[in-house]
Amino acid sequence: MIRWLLGPAVVAAALVAVTGCKPASRGPVQITLQRFFGACDAEFGSSTDVPAAEGECGIITTLINKFNADNPDIRVKVNIVYWPGYDQLSAELAAGHPPDLVTMHESVISDYSQRHLIMPLDAVLASVGVDPAGFTRAAREGVTRDGSVYALPFDTWAPLWHVNLNLMRAAGLVRDGAPVLPHSAEELLQQARQFTRATGKPYLIQSIVNDPAASARNLFTCLMQQNSDFFADPRRIRLQTPEARRVLQLFKQIRDEGLTTRDQDYTAATAAFLNGQGGVYIVGTWMIGTYEQASLQTGSPLAGGYTVVPFPQLYSGRDVTYADGHSWVIPTAKRSAQKTAAIARLLRFLRDNDFQWSRTGHLPAYQDVIDSARWRALPHRTEVARLVDTAAPLPAGVQRQFTIQQIISEEMESAITGQKPIDSALADAERRVNDLLFNLL
Amino acid sequence: MDSCEQTAAPSTRRTWAASKSEARSGLLFVAPYLIVFAVLLIYPLFSGIWLSLHKADLFGGSQFIGAQNYARLFRDPVFLTAVSNTLYFVLLTVPPLTLIGLGLALALNNRSRWSALLRGLFFSSSVLSVTIVTLIWRMVLIPDGGLIANLLTSIGRSPVAFLSDAHLALPAIAFTTIWWCIGLPMMLFLAALQQVPRDLYEAARLDNAGRWRMLASITLPSIRHTALVVVVIELILQFQLFGQAQIMTLGGPNNASLPMVLFIYQVGFQRWDIGYAAAASEILFGMILIAAMTQYFAARGRESR
Repeated sequence: MIRWLLGPAVVAAALVAVTGCKPASRGPVQITLQRFFGACDAEFGSSTDVPAAEGECGIITTLINKFNADNPDIRVKVNIVYWPGYDQLSAELAAGHPPDLVTMHESVISDYSQRHLIMPLDAVLASVGVDPAGFTRAAREGVTRDGSVYALPFDTWAPLWHVNLNLMRAAGLVRDGAPVLPHSAEELLQQARQFTRATGKPYLIQSIVNDPAASARNLFTCLMQQNSDFFADPRRIRLQTPEARRVLQLFKQIRDEGLTTRDQDYTAATAAFLNGQGGVYIVGTWMIGTYEQASLQTGSPLAGGYTVVPFPQLYSGRDVTYADGHSWVIPTAKRSAQKTAAIARLLRFLRDNDFQWSRTGHLPAYQDVIDSARWRALPHRTEVARLVDTAAPLPAGVQRQFTIQQIISEEMESAITGQKPIDSALADAERRVNDLLFNLL
Repeated sequence: MDSCEQTAAPSTRRTWAASKSEARSGLLFVAPYLIVFAVLLIYPLFSGIWLSLHKADLFGGSQFIGAQNYARLFRDPVFLTAVSNTLYFVLLTVPPLTLIGLGLALALNNRSRWSALLRGLFFSSSVLSVTIVTLIWRMVLIPDGGLIANLLTSIGRSPVAFLSDAHLALPAIAFTTIWWCIGLPMMLFLAALQQVPRDLYEAARLDNAGRWRMLASITLPSIRHTALVVVVIELILQFQLFGQAQIMTLGGPNNASLPMVLFIYQVGFQRWDIGYAAAASEILFGMILIAAMTQYFAARGRESR
């Protein structure tokens, strides 16, 4: 009886001993990647065909699938966050459980680098042969803080003028197949009036409702074009200036004369351009692919009539456009050398596939991709290529840039819609931004 | 006297020992809740008060600054706007939620099949998440292709931009909230109405009392405690407006629909100014406490008179 009872117990104990003493199985190294750009698993969840993928979400999803397929010793687990995801990242960092690799706007890097919440990547990038000398000027400026590279740049993006050539042609604003663009604020008003008279539609489509950044980006571009040094001190903004007043007056006049759409949020404005409700939509590089696809469809208001150009130079200072970029950062945390090496390999893979990513419409972050024939052969890239020279971010030392954009956009919106006098809105924006920067630790 | 004392002393001791034992058992029963209450409510409350006296961000490095965060809040026009928006929102929502909830409960307090169906229908919005509710109402309210905009256009009127008009944004959010939250007060009132003894109504009918008389003299006095509970619950809930404003308007335009909780969220999690956010949270806590207690004591005062 005792033997009958002991038998299975001994076998079980032996099994436990065997499995317990056996070294832990060395499965693939797991990397947690946290990104925005949306979720599209239904369409691309199992695809590894990167050249066939379209759009930000499609391309990044297939890129990660391809990396997983090509590197069986590494497993990339993707955590998709609602744009831009920094509240979640901050909470994860505060809790001490950050992901291993995160998408980050270059304008946000200072917030995290100054608190040592993300790692300098010089050594990591060098270990896989990524040389910052190969970055474009805009990308290098975007990811470098105090002489160290804090991120792998993925692209540079800027607000562009997406143009409905069909409507512009009806308004007599197309010459030799290209849109006639303004070279000054006065010309902008004149052409906008001509457009609206001829088509009965607003010249501009703008996302102004609940948009945390669009108006601020327009202001930054127009201030830079006037050589206004509004962030001479990164801890203090100057907005009560004739240059800023001039910009707000221009956009208010455009609205007052009915030359722009009203009360549209981002979704409505994006759809409005697709539906041919206006001539020019000021939005970023990421919409090029979508609108180009629409222009190839018969029956679309954009059919055979879409182009895109950088923000025109409206002021006589210099040709410049406010720009930002997407990049990849590694939050500071204890990691094994094996995991860090795996992350470095993924970074190398992302750098090597920057051309694929640039099919989204974003400007490549690497000079060799910009110079390549295949990139220039993509639709409209020759039109936007000059952004490589004209794109400019805010000074690297400016912290909380997303919040600053939100404050400025709110105040601009209230001035443009007439809820506040322009001078009050500028004074309020300046006070609120400076209060924010003054109270940083 | 002595004998009395001698006989009473052991009895008192026994009573005292029994009550001590009972108290210990009682304490054991409530201990799990007390521990959770202390760890999740009392400690964070005092920790928040302490944090509000510091200049601190999400990642440490705090510095004691006394009441400076509070002084800064009372000089901050955006915070003051958020306070007034929150009070306005409470005014816009709590009375209608109470009155409409009561009205629906009175109308549907019978055993008919239609009443059962309508009770379920009115309560159904409460089970939806804030994201679904706000998406539905955005589709109704937006001026570009929204339901109301289409209706107005079909009768030759211009669409109204409810969510980007400084005067309409908060009322639009309030309307959405009432639609979303009406189920709970209705159910609470229904439960209370079903507790009112039927014989009171029968007696009133024998006395030829009309419907209004019965409502004023029997129904409303009988459910006054529930009415107080509904008002206090709704006060506490509506002071904490967040998701609807975050999704529908982002607090705009020009902070016209910015509630205090969204202000606290933006300051704490987007600006990392966690000491300042804690100070704003304490003020919100104080406001909710005062509002709820005022209502409670006013009702008790009326009752004792």
